[in-house]
Amino acid sequence: MSVSSSYERFFDIPIGPQHPALKEPLFLKLIVEGEHVVAADVDVSYTHRGIERAMQERNYVQNIYLAERICGICNVAHTLCYCQNVEGLYDVEIPSRALYIRVLVEELARIHSHLLWLGVAAHEIGFDTLFMYVWRDREIVMDLIEEVTGNRVTSAINTIGGVRRDVKPETCDKCLKAMDYIEERTKYYKRVCKTDPTIAARCVGVGILKPDEAVRLCAVGPTLRASNVKYDVRADDPYAVHDEVPFNVIVYDTNDSFGRILVRIDEIFESINMVRYCIKHMPSGPVRARLRLNPPVGEHLSRVEAPRGELVHYVKSNGSEKPERYKVRTPTFENLSALCEMLTSKGNYVVNIADVPVVFASIDPCLSCTSRVAILDSERGKIWIGSLEELKRLKR
Amino acid sequence: MWLEHLLSVFTFPGFLFIILIAFLYEWIDRKLYATFQNRVGPWVTGPSGFLQPIADFIKLLTKEDITPEGADTLIFQCVPVFALAVAFTCSLFLPVSGHKGLVSFEGDLIIAITLMTLLSIMFFYAGLSSPSRFSIVGAERSMLQLLSYEIPLMLSIASVAVSTGSLSIVGVVEAQKAGWLIIGPNILSFIIFLSAAQAELERIPFDVPEAETEIVAGWLTEFSGRKLALLRLTKDVELFYLSSLAATLFLGGPLGPIIPGFEWLLHPVYFTIKSLVALFSLSLFRSVFARLRVDEVVNFLWKYIIPLSVLQFLFVRVVV
Repeated sequence: MSVSSSYERFFDIPIGPQHPALKEPLFLKLIVEGEHVVAADVDVSYTHRGIERAMQERNYVQNIYLAERICGICNVAHTLCYCQNVEGLYDVEIPSRALYIRVLVEELARIHSHLLWLGVAAHEIGFDTLFMYVWRDREIVMDLIEEVTGNRVTSAINTIGGVRRDVKPETCDKCLKAMDYIEERTKYYKRVCKTDPTIAARCVGVGILKPDEAVRLCAVGPTLRASNVKYDVRADDPYAVHDEVPFNVIVYDTNDSFGRILVRIDEIFESINMVRYCIKHMPSGPVRARLRLNPPVGEHLSRVEAPRGELVHYVKSNGSEKPERYKVRTPTFENLSALCEMLTSKGNYVVNIADVPVVFASIDPCLSCTSRVAILDSERGKIWIGSLEELKRLKR
Repeated sequence: MWLEHLLSVFTFPGFLFIILIAFLYEWIDRKLYATFQNRVGPWVTGPSGFLQPIADFIKLLTKEDITPEGADTLIFQCVPVFALAVAFTCSLFLPVSGHKGLVSFEGDLIIAITLMTLLSIMFFYAGLSSPSRFSIVGAERSMLQLLSYEIPLMLSIASVAVSTGSLSIVGVVEAQKAGWLIIGPNILSFIIFLSAAQAELERIPFDVPEAETEIVAGWLTEFSGRKLALLRLTKDVELFYLSSLAATLFLGGPLGPIIPGFEWLLHPVYFTIKSLVALFSLSLFRSVFARLRVDEVVNFLWKYIIPLSVLQFLFVRVVV
């Protein structure tokens, strides 16, 4: 673009890696002209923790706890994915009650994650009152998770071969009661979001992602479903007992941030119904199958619909007590290229600086889970995963 | 006589009073905002966190005071002092302890609102003198916002002046002995005044110049230590000033049933209660909306509030 006067028309605004809008380390370089974002550049990997490598250094039991700590909020999804992977190496049948408990906790965690996200999104558009209200109600789900699993945040419920502890009948009653309350509150929040003029002013038509673009850029989760693409791992490739527990895949055709709010709110309703179904139809029996310590040689890939989208874990075993290779692909990573698309103005679609926080929040980013090291050599056009020595060399 | 006058300038209802009541208003505002949001708000310092704003102020005074490299040093250092001076000067016009403010003359209403504009321009300079990009965007936004809320603010005050036939605050107050201005054709002006005041105070939904999640703290970003303390005090005084001005112009200011011999006590009490009502509406307004975008703010104010205030002004002109 040509600069018409001697003044600097474009200047860049750095958002992150430390910025009040972003609780996560991401660097967004915005080229702006006045209030309009002309181009956006995303830089990730400020918090590479080397988890994949660390997993190859530890045995399968230790890795459950490491997998749990890939992400704080979707910890249930990560352990579920990990345990399914390792169980897949053995070829055993997991007790049905354990699978029901897994789905129960997974859906509770989804409610908690979506409520948390709704609060964050409200904060990003300056609606702190909604933020405080939503987070207050989220506490009820947190207490339930504590009641069921014994832990508030990192639940540590899934283990190889089943779950770590059983659910008591009185806990089930408590769950059902709390679900009624959460349902009522979520209905209220849905009404607020649909009727409040300022929320509509800030979210409708902001962060547009067309369906074909969403598919081309491999968006996942609610981001994809808000672009009217009906794709959910729970429905398309059912794991645990998702083939038995009925639910609807929520899609909206608004393609914008507002649609992403509505998709997540409606998914809370679906999760509430799934929790109810799980409690009512939970079979009795053991909750854990005992397995040998070292899995047989082989490889396995497992997919889970985490609250943020499709989560993929891959394991390769050489028969020893440690995995030979472990690979994690988190949903945020897939959504980042879609984010760049949403932040690029073209034609009539203009992105303002003020839109950036809500657009960024609308993919429900979790960047610390995302950091992976791949070395890109643009001259030779080659991408490879670096070894520790290579990294040390690059650092110098 | 002059000693007494000097004393009242520095203590009551002068600077000391203004500073203390500004802190009190900040605390009330924070408490109300917290209550609306289901929180407790300030809690630790003093009973119910009553001393929190003062503690914040003192803490900021002791912090390191940085003038960033590349800042326009002269303006950057002068702005906090000037802004506070302007805010204090504004507040001297308020009729806290009687029908008259400390400073009172024919036409002081015009001076009072002019100084208010000057305060916004100070904030613009504060942002412009900082080297940070967030500050510059904030200053840009604050100027854009000024261009839209200033007109309805002036027009709502103009309709007050027209209906009371006076351009001095004393005149406006005394004209309300027959009935507060909010009762009658000026009720719409009151609402317009409050929404414009919300924009002037840069509070939700019009807090675009310091939108936290977008541009950190807008024009305030680079200020620290003493300068930040003074600027925050300025904002508090501004909050006191605008809610009091709303009370003075529309709710009868210090007027109320008077027991002879107790005027010195009753006037300030009535005045404070009335301005707290205005503060309550400002706080409520702040907690029920999301932040608008700057183009939406300008759109809203020019499309709805300005035509409405012109109509209101004409209406008052015809009725009176």
